[in-house]
Amino acid sequence: MNAIIILIPLALVLLMLAVGAFFWAVDRGQFDDLQTPGLLPLDEAQKRADSENDEEPAP
Amino acid sequence: MNTLCWHCGEPLPVTVIDARVGGELHAVCCNGCRAAAEWIGQLGLADYYLLRTQPAKKPEPSQDADRNGYLAWQRDELARHVVRDLGEGRRETMLFVEGVRCTACVWLIERALQSLHGVASVQVNALARRARITWIDDRVSLAQILECLARTGYRAWPLHARALDDIRRQETRDALKRLVVAGFGAMQAMMFAAVLYLRGGEAPDVSAEALFRWLGFIVATPVVLYSAGPFFKAATRSLAARQLSMDVPVAAAIALIYAASFVEALRGGGHVYFDSVSMFVFFLLAGRYLEMRARHHAGDLVDALARLTPSFADRRREDHSLERVGTHELRAGDCVHVGEGGLIPADGLLLSPACRVDEALMSGEAAPVLRRSGDMLIAGSVLVDGPVDLQVQRVGADTVLAGIAGLVERAQVERPQLARAGEQATARFVVRVLSLTVLTAVAWSVIDPSRAFAAALAVLVVSCPCAFALAVPAAITRALTVLARCGVLVVKPDAIAALAQASHVVFDKTGTLTMPQLAGVQTFNGVSPERALRLAASLARESHHPLARAIAAACNEAALPAATQVRSEAGLGLCGVVEGRELKLGSSRFAAPDRELPGDDAAVVLADPAGAIAAFRVSEQLRPYMRDVIDALKAQGLQLRIISGDASDKVADVAAKLDIASWRARASPADKLSDLGTMRAQGARVLAVGDGVNDAPVLAGADVGVAIASGAEIARASSDIVLAGEHIGGLVTARRIARQTVAVIQQNQRWALLYNVVAMPLAALGFVPPWLAALGMSLSSLCVIGNALRIGAA
Repeated sequence: MNAIIILIPLALVLLMLAVGAFFWAVDRGQFDDLQTPGLLPLDEAQKRADSENDEEPAP
Repeated sequence: MNTLCWHCGEPLPVTVIDARVGGELHAVCCNGCRAAAEWIGQLGLADYYLLRTQPAKKPEPSQDADRNGYLAWQRDELARHVVRDLGEGRRETMLFVEGVRCTACVWLIERALQSLHGVASVQVNALARRARITWIDDRVSLAQILECLARTGYRAWPLHARALDDIRRQETRDALKRLVVAGFGAMQAMMFAAVLYLRGGEAPDVSAEALFRWLGFIVATPVVLYSAGPFFKAATRSLAARQLSMDVPVAAAIALIYAASFVEALRGGGHVYFDSVSMFVFFLLAGRYLEMRARHHAGDLVDALARLTPSFADRRREDHSLERVGTHELRAGDCVHVGEGGLIPADGLLLSPACRVDEALMSGEAAPVLRRSGDMLIAGSVLVDGPVDLQVQRVGADTVLAGIAGLVERAQVERPQLARAGEQATARFVVRVLSLTVLTAVAWSVIDPSRAFAAALAVLVVSCPCAFALAVPAAITRALTVLARCGVLVVKPDAIAALAQASHVVFDKTGTLTMPQLAGVQTFNGVSPERALRLAASLARESHHPLARAIAAACNEAALPAATQVRSEAGLGLCGVVEGRELKLGSSRFAAPDRELPGDDAAVVLADPAGAIAAFRVSEQLRPYMRDVIDALKAQGLQLRIISGDASDKVADVAAKLDIASWRARASPADKLSDLGTMRAQGARVLAVGDGVNDAPVLAGADVGVAIASGAEIARASSDIVLAGEHIGGLVTARRIARQTVAVIQQNQRWALLYNVVAMPLAALGFVPPWLAALGMSLSSLCVIGNALRIGAA
């Protein structure tokens, strides 16, 4: 029982922190685009190629 | 062998064009696709073809350098109302991008723009088809950005700087926050409630129970006060307007469960339902969130209007020279010059002797109409021959076009009042639950007054969440999925109930029931009709115009020669080179101006520099299988009516062919809306089907508006249901599934009610141990979900 007295308020505080962090992320636009980030990992090869021939002028 | 174009996925002609991308040759269908594909390859973005899930939109044939008006954006005073200055030379704008189809498009647009030197950030919203772009002003210009998008295959329109405030982004973020708070709250409340449910045989520990009740109260409070806020706000608004919307019973249920549980917690009673109320809010918000995404997908009225009016106008100065100004700078009394094929920028009187304009905007008909000096020309219509001068009479919000948008908005606002009857089913259910609660309270106060409150509360609390939170959403979600699979995109889920109850269907004629098809070919100089059609079709294939599509569709020969150097002249026709001959295809004035052709004015003429080769007569014919669709709708007991902007004889002809007795011709958008009002007053529930700008008010005002996906943007934005493709056959299936859904919802509600009526008194009397109650509750939920899964199965 004593453990519960400590653990439950702790859980509630963590919950509030989690919600706060989520609100912060939403306001910073982290959830505006839920589609393209999924493609980012596939783009890695391209990025490396870009940085290798950096001197090439942009078209 | 590959038979589809690598870029746009349309069937390939036999003489294919090759696009060289990344050192490999790929077969494409036209030069527009080749240019776009090679440009994408040059940018090093060929991965787009691996990432995409849908083929690209076929690019429009290249146009005159400045036809798109991109260069004019370089003038600061023009760009001012679409661009926001962020300071330090940074500028921001919001574009509406046409042709965004899947995630790979977003990827392509972002990469392509970031390859421009000076573009700081690009954010594309695929659902809204909007792109927010920031750039550094002295390195790159808005014109270059638009040009880059056009080369990649997307046409973009800058939106008014107000769009940067983006209400929809705010709405999405807000909904997401509320949903997550409700989700966390529901989980925590459930955890605390589980302790109360499972206390079982152990000796009750009074202080621990009180603790868990109050913990439940702590986590449920933000859910009710914050997450459920929109329901309370909407309910208050609807009560203030003396209407009973769906939000009223929902808000009442939330408030009652929460308040009653709070009272129970204060009294130290056994039954608190903080977990139920949190779950209820969470499920409702999840449904609303999906609904909001569908709505954003369907488009926005503001974006639709941005495409219809030109951004610039050529104004005459005192000395008759021309200056290019933004349309928003025009004032009544200005004299404006419009070139051949241009869009009319504002309503005004024609000063030139005569011209022909395409007023599809008002009438839905693509055939040009003759206007003489002194006649009124309306903003947004296309000048078919010109050039002309006109004197501006009305600008901005006073134009006929803005009036149509106004009608749409008014129809949407007035609708809840008109559609009130559609919400009766929900209201009836709430009334039943409430009367059962009262009955229980009265009965118990006779038997044992001390338990009356708890028993009444139990009925209210447990029947509401179960029925609302599961019975209805499960059926609706299932129906939405099934419908989406057969190409019917439901934008507003309450449309399902309205669709099931519809008694009348109103059709637009042109574009909805009919489409242009080739009716006859007349050739000159001894050319065979087949050969003329081949030449015309190779040119017409490059265009999206309905007449060009009809000609291309009429030629079923696969071995079409490829057309090169194709250019389109808006409102006039196409020109290009086929088999080494320079050809023009379009209105007779455009293709063969020096020759008077026999036959009607509306014919499409194919000509080379030596003279006319052939004239194609395109007439309106019923869409394929239309008769079957109409018969199926009649068999479902619907009354059909055609309301069209076209002439009486044409409408009568179509009505006779389809065996539809009731029709009306020459109806303006306002006429259509008033017609709808009359039908409504007689008790009809109206389903409207349309595709044009002129149909938008009716679609918005009807009980259910159904738009065809290939139709005008503004029609899609005002409708409740969008049919994919060009076929309205999906409507028959949609209505069948809607009726099934409504039946399943009723069964589910009855089941939930029956279960609670039987189980509740037993539980209240103490005959049911907690584990059995939990099992029964789960089985009841499974029944409801299983029943919902039947939708669309038969």
